Parts: sequence; C-alpha cells; structure tokens
Amino acid sequence: MSLPEAYQLEIQALNKQVLQTCPSDILQFCADFFNSRLATERAASISLFRDRGTPSPRFPPSPTSHHFGMMSSQFSSPFGANANPFGGSSSNANPFGGSASPMSSSVMHRVVEEDENDHLAPGASMFSGAFGGDASTEAPPTLRAPPTADSYPAQYNFSRRTSVSAESLKPSADSYDNWTPPFTEKTPEQVERLKCAIEGNFLFSHLDDEQSAQILGALVEKPIPARGIKVISQGDAGDYFYVVERGSFDVYVNDCGFIEPGPDGLGNKVGTIQAGGSFGELALMYNAPRAATIISAEGSCTLWALDRVTFRRILMESTFARRRMYENFLEEVPILSSLTPYERSKISDALETQKFAPGDVIIHEGDPGHSFYLLESGEAAAYKGEEKVLSYKKGDFFGELALLNDAPRAASVIATSDVKVATLGKNAFQRLLGPVEGLLRRTRYQGVKTGVEEMDPLHTE
Amino acid sequence: MAATVAETQPATPALSAGMASSHQLHQAGNAPKPLQLTRTFKLADFTRVRTLGTGTFARVCLVRPASATVPLEEDKNAEVYALKILKKTEVIKLKQIDHVRHERAVLADVAGHPFITNLQASFSDRDCLYLVLDYVPGGELFSYLRKYRRFDEQVARFYAAEIVLVLEYLHEKQGGVAYRDLKPENLLLDRDGHIKLADFGFAKRLGYKDDRPVETYTLCGTPEYLAPEVIHNKGHTTAVDWWALGILIYEFLTGYPPFWHQNPIEIYKQIVEKPVVFPQEPHISDEAKDIIKSFCTLDRSRRLGNISGGAGRVKAHPFFHGVNWEDLLSRRQPGPIIPPIRYPGDAQCFDMYPEDDGKGDVYTAELANKYDQYFEDF
Ligand SMILES: Nc1ncnc2c1ncn2[C@@H]1O[C@H](COP(=O)(O)OP(=O)(O)OP(=O)(O)O)[C@@H](O)[C@H]1O
Ligand SMILES: [Mg+2]
Repeated sequence: MSLPEAYQLEIQALNKQVLQTCPSDILQFCADFFNSRLATERAASISLFRDRGTPSPRFPPSPTSHHFGMMSSQFSSPFGANANPFGGSSSNANPFGGSASPMSSSVMHRVVEEDENDHLAPGASMFSGAFGGDASTEAPPTLRAPPTADSYPAQYNFSRRTSVSAESLKPSADSYDNWTPPFTEKTPEQVERLKCAIEGNFLFSHLDDEQSAQILGALVEKPIPARGIKVISQGDAGDYFYVVERGSFDVYVNDCGFIEPGPDGLGNKVGTIQAGGSFGELALMYNAPRAATIISAEGSCTLWALDRVTFRRILMESTFARRRMYENFLEEVPILSSLTPYERSKISDALETQKFAPGDVIIHEGDPGHSFYLLESGEAAAYKGEEKVLSYKKGDFFGELALLNDAPRAASVIATSDVKVATLGKNAFQRLLGPVEGLLRRTRYQGVKTGVEEMDPLHTE
Repeated sequence: MAATVAETQPATPALSAGMASSHQLHQAGNAPKPLQLTRTFKLADFTRVRTLGTGTFARVCLVRPASATVPLEEDKNAEVYALKILKKTEVIKLKQIDHVRHERAVLADVAGHPFITNLQASFSDRDCLYLVLDYVPGGELFSYLRKYRRFDEQVARFYAAEIVLVLEYLHEKQGGVAYRDLKPENLLLDRDGHIKLADFGFAKRLGYKDDRPVETYTLCGTPEYLAPEVIHNKGHTTAVDWWALGILIYEFLTGYPPFWHQNPIEIYKQIVEKPVVFPQEPHISDEAKDIIKSFCTLDRSRRLGNISGGAGRVKAHPFFHGVNWEDLLSRRQPGPIIPPIRYPGDAQCFDMYPEDDGKGDVYTAELANKYDQYFEDF
C-alpha cells in the first residue's frame, strides 16, 4: 500500500534536512519545513502569472530556502533558476549561484503576436453532436478570446517545437554479443569525489548501486594541460558529459548560439566551474548543439568524461537484464502461471526493489499480507515462532498468496545474508491487471515444481 | 491512386459511452484497404506546390501530379498529396535509419484509420526517401491553439477523445504500436475539422519477442512531452503516449505545457521531479485536472491508459462523460473548428517556410554502398 508520490517526495526532502541539520527541536523544525514548503508552492502558482521578471516561474526564490540549505535561485539567466547552461553542476559548486548574472538583461521575452489577418473562419462551427445530450444543455461553446495578459506566461517560447532523438540502442542480450562497460581504474578518493559530483544530478539520482558503480568505472580521465583550451564549443555537437577533477573552467555564451569569428567571438563570460562541478549533461540524453563554450581557466586541469552511448548502454543493459530476470522468476510462480507473457511483463515493470541486512525481518508473522516477494539475491529463512520451516535462495518467492487475500502471514521471513527482493503489492497488481479473482483463478492453484508454495508458510488456510 | 479513407465507415453496434469495450470500436481502422505501395513513383511524377512544414528530419511539400494542367485554385477535384522528403545523408547523420524504416512500415499498417494520415505510396531515388501521403488541408492544430491561445474544455475534449481512439487503435488493435511524438504540431485538421495524426517518424511496433512484449530504449520525442521513464532510460512502452496525452490536454486548456523552460535540461528535471501544477486562471474543471494528473503519473503501474482496462478505462473517465464514442469514430459530426479551405489544394492553413536551398551533404557512392541496403524497401 504505497503513499502518494508527492507526499513521499516531501518526506524524503524533510528527512534529508533533518539529517543535515540535526535539529534539537524536531517538531518545530518539521513545522517550519512544511510552512516554508507551503509558502513556496503557493508562491509558485501565483508568480507563474504575476511575476514576469522571474525567468523560471516554476522555481521562484524560496523566502526561507537558506534555512534548509536548498539551492538559492535568486539570480536570473537565460537558463533560468539555478542552472548553469549545462545544468550539470552540483549544488555546492554551482558556479552561477548567488550573485546576479550579467545575462539577466538578455532574458528573452517572447510574447505571442496577434496575427492581424485572421485566416480562421469567423464562424468556426458550434461544437456539438458527438458529445450528445450533454453538450446541448450547455451554453454554446466558444473558443476562448485571448486571455488577459496576466494569465499567460510571457517567457514561454510559443513557437513550433521540433523533436529530438538519440541513436537507437538494442540490448546486447537481444543480439547475443556480449558487452562489458568500459572501465578505468580510479583511487577510492577519486571515486568518492566523482560520486559526490554526480550524486545530486537528476540523471544519476535514480540509479541503483550496480549502475552507479559501472558508471563511475566508465568515466575516463582527460587531462587538460594548459590554460585556454576549449573543451567544448558552443553550437558543436555534444557527445560527452564532464566532471571537473582539478582546476577550473570558464563558461562563455554567445547570444547567437555559436562561436563567431573575431576576438569577442566567444560571447560573454557567464561563470566559472570549479573542481567538483560538472557540465554538458544534455549530451547524455541526445546529441544537441552545445549551449556554451567551456575553456580551461588555468594550467594542468583534469576532467572526467562520460559519453552518451556508454551511459545509455549501461542503464539499458542492466534494466533489460533485470526485467528478463524478473520475468523468468515470475514464470515459476504457480499462481501467476496463467498470466500471459504480456501480463507478466507489466508486473516485472512494476516490481520494486528492497534491500535488507542480515537479521532484518522481511515479513512479520501475524501481520496482514499485502505484498509478494521475489528473492533477487541473498538468502532468507521462514520461521514459525522459533522454528525454522524453510530457507529461500535466489529465484525463490514468498508471500504470493497475499495477492489473493489479506490473510495474516503465517510465518516470519528473516534475511540470513544481505538480501535484495523485488516486491509487488496486491493493489499495484490489481491496478495493472484487474481483479485478482478472475486472473489468478483462471487455473486452479496447484502447488508444483519447487514445493515451496505447497506449504507456503505465509498462508493460513 | 486517389483513394481516400473518408468513406470507411464503421459498422459497429451501438455501445454506450464509457462502457465501451475497446475491441469492438475499431472496424473502421481495420477496413482492409488495398495499398498500392508497390506501384513505383518517381519524383518527376509530381510537381511541387510549396512547403507545408519542416521538422528535424524532413520537409513536407504539397505536390500534385505532374500531368495536372488546371490551375490549382480552379481545380475543384484536384489530386493533391503531401510528399514527405527525407534526405538520406541527414537520415544517416542523425542516426535515424531505424526510425524511417519503422515510419514507413507502421504507416503502411495503419493506413485507412479515420484519424491517421493515410500513406499512399513510398519511393526513393539516389539522394532521398519519399512518403506520398494524403494531403490534410486544415493545417496543424498547433496553429489554431496558438491563435486562440487555449481551448474551451469541450473543444479540448473533442480533440482528446479522437486521440484516445487513435491511441487505442495503435496500442491495442495494432498489437503494441507506440506513437511517441504526440504534440499539437503533429496533429492536423482535415476539412471537416477532425484530427489526423501525422508524423510517424518515431512510431514503433514494440511487438513480441520470444512471446514477450518488447520494451524499447531509444530516447525520442519532443522535450516538453517526454515521459519520465524515457528521460531516465528505463525502457519504455506504449505508456509514454498516455503521459503525452496528459501534457497535451494541459496545453489545450492553458495554452502552454506544464513543464517548460528555455533550457531543456530544466524541463527534464521538472518532468522527473515535479508534479503537474495548475494555474488559478483559466479555471480548469476537476475532471480535467484529474485526467491530466492520472495520465501524468510517474509510476507506470498507476498511469491511466496503462493500468488494467487500458483505453476503455480512459474512455470511462468523467472528463469524457457524455462522449458518444461510436459517433466520434464514424465522424458523424464536424469538429469544433472548420478550417477555411477554398479549394482542395488550398494551403493557406499552413505557415510559410523558406523553400529548400538544395544545400546539404552529398550522398556519395561510398555512402550508397554502405547504406542503400537499409532503404531498399522504400
Ligand atoms: N499529410 C500531410 N498533410 C499536410 N501537411 C502535412 C502532412 N504531413 C506532414 N505535414 C506537415 O509537415 C510538418 C512536418 O512533418 P513531420 O512532422 O512528419 O516531419 P518531421 O521532420 O518528422 O517533424 P519532427 O520534428 O516533429 O520530427 C507537419 O507538422 C505538418 O505541418
Ligand atoms: Mg513532426
């Protein structure tokens, strides 16, 4: 039974603040936190229409944000709040943070121009018909007249949008060639620093431990021996993301979108990126022209570089492998045997990973059963009272009868080593596949194969 | 070659709105329609009238048979087509070979659906690939949306409902075709004001392999409309189209998408981190808010359209209350905006674009040797 996502995000943010601040008065701290969050949210929706001076109305400066160590976003740049042109820097090394940017004057204000020669039929047909009786009882619908200026964000670029696309990738399991991610040796300190540098970045924050490890391993060292070397040039194709290990780099933006010939061709200097900062993350998604030029600001700098194909491939291969593993596991679960491969694949899509340390209780005897578990790695054992009744290893599952009913768990399951499980709640299962009754009883539930389910210790008759 | 799809009327039994079983609504789309994809054309068979639109990969031109003699403005029965032209060098450079092959294949499979641009033929020459499409004269829904700034809820509901029918068809009747580029720019209006979905450049039959549905990993789409799982490279499915429909309804009702920024990275951050927030003005009904939030749900096991019931569940949502899905599919009523079209070849609903300057990289013999095998079935 999961809590609303928005709620979980708030709680996560609060947890982080509490950890960082270690407040003495917990209640007061939490109350302040939520007050400030509420104020920010409210301000956001109001300023979306009032505060035209803020380039990114969605991120208005939070009046109390510094109490909580959040990123300050009071400067304005064409890239909006708290962004360097590449968006890659971590919060504590934000080269653009705090001070007013010289670029605030160049904020684009695009307003839709009213097209004088109206090419639309003045009598656009009344809307009716397909919507049956309902539509006719209402006032004749009209297309809205242009709204008051207040309710329309001036900064939005209203022109046509074109599509973006990365190169297509296929999992190597599909083509039977083996792929191992590239690996560059690093000292533990370097790994720590790199971890810090990419931690807060939204492109890395959702990775699991193996994926992070592979990506940290794949970063390649790139020495920049002298001052004045262009690492990336505005307007060029972008394939790499960089983390600064040593030295510093200046950021230039030419308003025309690329480097022009001549002494001022680089445009304006808009910031400096220090060690621990990063840049060029859009290149990890697809090949887009670089939004700025980055030049080494001192001698003997060092960068770590990661290319898009390696990054995307690491994520793809591990996601793909995990899905296939889940699907194979699920195939072995008797009550799920009547599901189609399509249905099993939907379930593996929705499985959530949880980790337990040795001795942790995964399931409590007597608790109502809501979720079912697949053992992804490690070992666990089922106990009835003091008595051990079963042991589980990789690929085993337990608690699956919770998908059928809410009967109390008839045993406890305790991790005997580091354990990773994939779990799915009854609710998610029903949302995805509909009422369980019809599905799981498509075939009679008969224990076969491993015998685990015949005497599912978690099920009370 | 002049066959059109407007006549393909469904012979569906009456079904009450909302309770509709998704499986019976699609005869219209399934009406077998012989496609003369094998008939060979060449560029010289057509004269170009003008450019209708350009995108990242292609240019689409209004064309008519080279043999036509009557001036276009006077030709009341003009045979006109939209010719989508893709330069081979661009396709290779932008790594879109797979995508154009899918585009051609999916378009051929879905030809004849009342709300999808109809592919007549495809051909290629040394430098380019061509798709011959029925000309949809009403222009992009995008132009009307920007013109009116936003749509009334009933208007938005009408277009959204037609798109639901298209997605139901692609996802459920076509065996898992993901469209992946829903946005007002890719929605055209036909002469009666109905939607025609254009640009199948990213459409892909996800299909099955070893009896399992295949997910796909290639990042593609339009920044404001990308689903979070695409941004996170988690492997995506047809669920991305339902996310995009939520964004689209939001943009219909407010005039701008929920996540926007000058810098695409900031858009992506918002998409994966922020909930959709509604403005105080214009007023948006609770049903509309709810359907937008239900589509724009990060967790795919909760996303409307992807959860059990699929498109049927979408149709039953209160936002679509009162929609007669059968009437809608049979195009019984005209749409809320009737495009001002004076004659069949009229292109006044399209913006003007600079014509092709003929520049671009040469498709060398070397490239042809290496890549022409991939363009063979064009
Ligand atoms: N059948 C048609 N009839 C009329 N106009 C059309 C037709 N097909 C496409 N167009 C116009 O051409 C424009 C570009 O076509 P399309 O979207 O297929 O190109 P693209 O390069 O794939 O674009 P994108 O950048 O979205 O990937 C469309 O937005 C539309 O205005
Ligand atoms: Mg397009």
